[in-house]
Amino acid sequence: MGILKKLHKWVGLLIGLQVMLWLLSGLMISLLDPAKVSGKQWAAPITDESPALQSGVLLEPNELPAELLSDALSISLTNSHGQAVYRIKHGGDEALINAADGSIIQTSKADAEILARQDFVGNGDIISIQAGRAPDLETRNSSGNYWKVDFSDDASTTLYISVSSGDILERRNSYWRVRDFFWMLHIMDYSSHEDFNNPLIIFVALVAIWLGIRGFILLFSSFNRHDFYFLNLMRKPDEVVITLIDPSCAKPKQLSLRKGSNLFLSLATHNINLPSICGGGGECGKCRVKMEGDNPPIANTIEQGLIPSSLRKQGYRLACQQEVKNNITLKLAKGSATYDC
Amino acid sequence: MLKPAVIARTLHKWLGFLVGIQILIWLASGLYMVVVDIDFIHGDPLVKNMQQTVTTPQTPVLDIAALRVKYPDATHIDLRPVMGQTLYSVTTANGRYLHEPKTGDLISPLDEETTRRIARYHFAGDAPILTASLITTNPPMEIQTRRLPLWRIDFADRFATSFYIDPYTGALATRRHQYWRIFDFLWMLHIMDYEERADAHHPLLIVAQLTGLSFAISGLWLLFYSISCRRKNRAVAE
Repeated sequence: MGILKKLHKWVGLLIGLQVMLWLLSGLMISLLDPAKVSGKQWAAPITDESPALQSGVLLEPNELPAELLSDALSISLTNSHGQAVYRIKHGGDEALINAADGSIIQTSKADAEILARQDFVGNGDIISIQAGRAPDLETRNSSGNYWKVDFSDDASTTLYISVSSGDILERRNSYWRVRDFFWMLHIMDYSSHEDFNNPLIIFVALVAIWLGIRGFILLFSSFNRHDFYFLNLMRKPDEVVITLIDPSCAKPKQLSLRKGSNLFLSLATHNINLPSICGGGGECGKCRVKMEGDNPPIANTIEQGLIPSSLRKQGYRLACQQEVKNNITLKLAKGSATYDC
Repeated sequence: MLKPAVIARTLHKWLGFLVGIQILIWLASGLYMVVVDIDFIHGDPLVKNMQQTVTTPQTPVLDIAALRVKYPDATHIDLRPVMGQTLYSVTTANGRYLHEPKTGDLISPLDEETTRRIARYHFAGDAPILTASLITTNPPMEIQTRRLPLWRIDFADRFATSFYIDPYTGALATRRHQYWRIFDFLWMLHIMDYEERADAHHPLLIVAQLTGLSFAISGLWLLFYSISCRRKNRAVAE
C-alpha cells in the first residue's frame, strides 16, 4: 500500500473519531442542565430592585484621587452593600471608592467569606479561601485579583470574588468543569478552551464536511424505492421465485423474495447467510453466487474489481450488488449457505 | 439470525436516513462558525471610538449633589462618555435620564439627529446611513434580549450593518450585520432550537444527537469490517 493511501486511511479514521467526539461532546453538553452549569441553581436569587443611593454628603467625581480618574473608561456612583461607592473602570481592572470619604475599598478575605456565604444557598460549607489572579482557566473572562472560595457541597462549588469590586466573578462547579472538558473536545482548543477559530479545527472541519458530503451521496445511492415499500401498505409487493442450488445438498431449495429488494439482504432475512465479512457492502467479495441462465446481468464496477473475469463470464456475481428482479436459479459455492437439505 | 455485519450495515443505512441531513447541517454550520473569525462576527472591525475615556466635569452647572436632589430615588449615577463628551446618566426605579453637565439640560430621549451623529461617530466605514427608526415594541430577533426602546440605524454598506443606540444613555447597545445574522441562523440550526435560538438543553436535540452517535458508532464498526476485508483480500492476492 502506498504511503498516500495509508495516510488517507489513517487521516480518515482520525477524522471519523473526531466526528464521533463532536457528537459525544455535543450530547454531553446538551444533557447538562444550564442552571447547574452556571451555578444559578445554588445562588441566592437576585433582587430586582436596587436600593436608592445612600443619603448624606457625597464627594463629587472631581474630588476623587486624580490618579484614579486619569484614563478612566467609566465612572459610576452606585450602592455596594449598603454604602454609596464610585466604581471606576480602567481597562480590565475596576476600583471601588467610598463615595463619602474617598477611601479605596478592597474586599478582604473576611469580606469574601461573608459575600460567599450570602451568595451560596446550596448544601455545604466553605472549605478554603485562597488568593489568585484572573484570567486563568476558570476565570478566563475576568481580570484582576480574586478570592477563590471553595465549598464542600456535592457539586464542589467554587466562587471567585473580585478583590477590587467584591463582585462574584464566576460560579464554578463540577457540572461546569465537565461541560468545559467536553467543550474543549468539541472546539478542539486544548489549552484555553475558548478559541474555536483555531487552525486545527478548521482543517478537521473542512475534511469532515468533504467526507460528510461523500457519505451523504453514498447514503442517497444506497436507497431505492423498494426500501420504502412498507409505506405503501395497501399494495403487496410482487414476489419472485429464487431457486438455490447448494452442491452439497441433494435437493435445491425454492424461496419467494420481494421484487426489487437486495438479493444478499433478502436471503439473509430468510436465514440464508452467504459468506461475508463486510455485511453486504461490496467490499470483501465473499458473497459470490453463480447466476444460472444465458443472460446474467451486467457486472458493475465493484463486481469487476472483486471477481476474476473468467468467473464473471460464467455468470458469477456478488449477491450484495444484485437486485431481485425475476425468477432465477442461483448456484452457491459448496457449503457456503446452510439450508435444510 | 442476521450476522452482526449485516445488522451494522442495515442500522447504519437507516440511522443515516434519519439523521443524515442533520449531520450535514451540523458539519456545515460548524464549518462556518470555525472558519469565520468571531471578532469579525461581533462586528469589531465595523466600530471605532469604543474605548472613550471619561473626563470629570469641572465647575458644572449641575453636579452630583444637585442631581441627587432632583432624583431622590436614584440608584445609579454614571458619568458616560458620548461622542467624546461626558454626560450624566441617572437611573431611578422608574426611568433613566441623560443630563448635560455644563448646561444642566435634560437631553434624553435622544432625537433622531443626535442618534445619527452618534452612529457616525462609532461607524468605522464611510457608507451613508440608509434609515433610522425608533424601535419601541416588537423588537427584531437580533435584539430580542435588549432593553427597549432602541434606535436602529441601518448603513448602506456591503455588510448591511445595523447599529442599535439607546436613546436614554447614548450608548451603542449592539451592532449587527449580515455575517452575524448568518451565524445566528446557523447557530439555530446547529442547536436545533428554532424558536429562542439559545437553548441546547432540549429533547429534540438530545434525541438527534443520540441517533447521530449511534450512526457514527455503527459506521466505525463497519470500518473495522472493511479494514479486515482489505487485509484478507491482500493476503489472498499475495
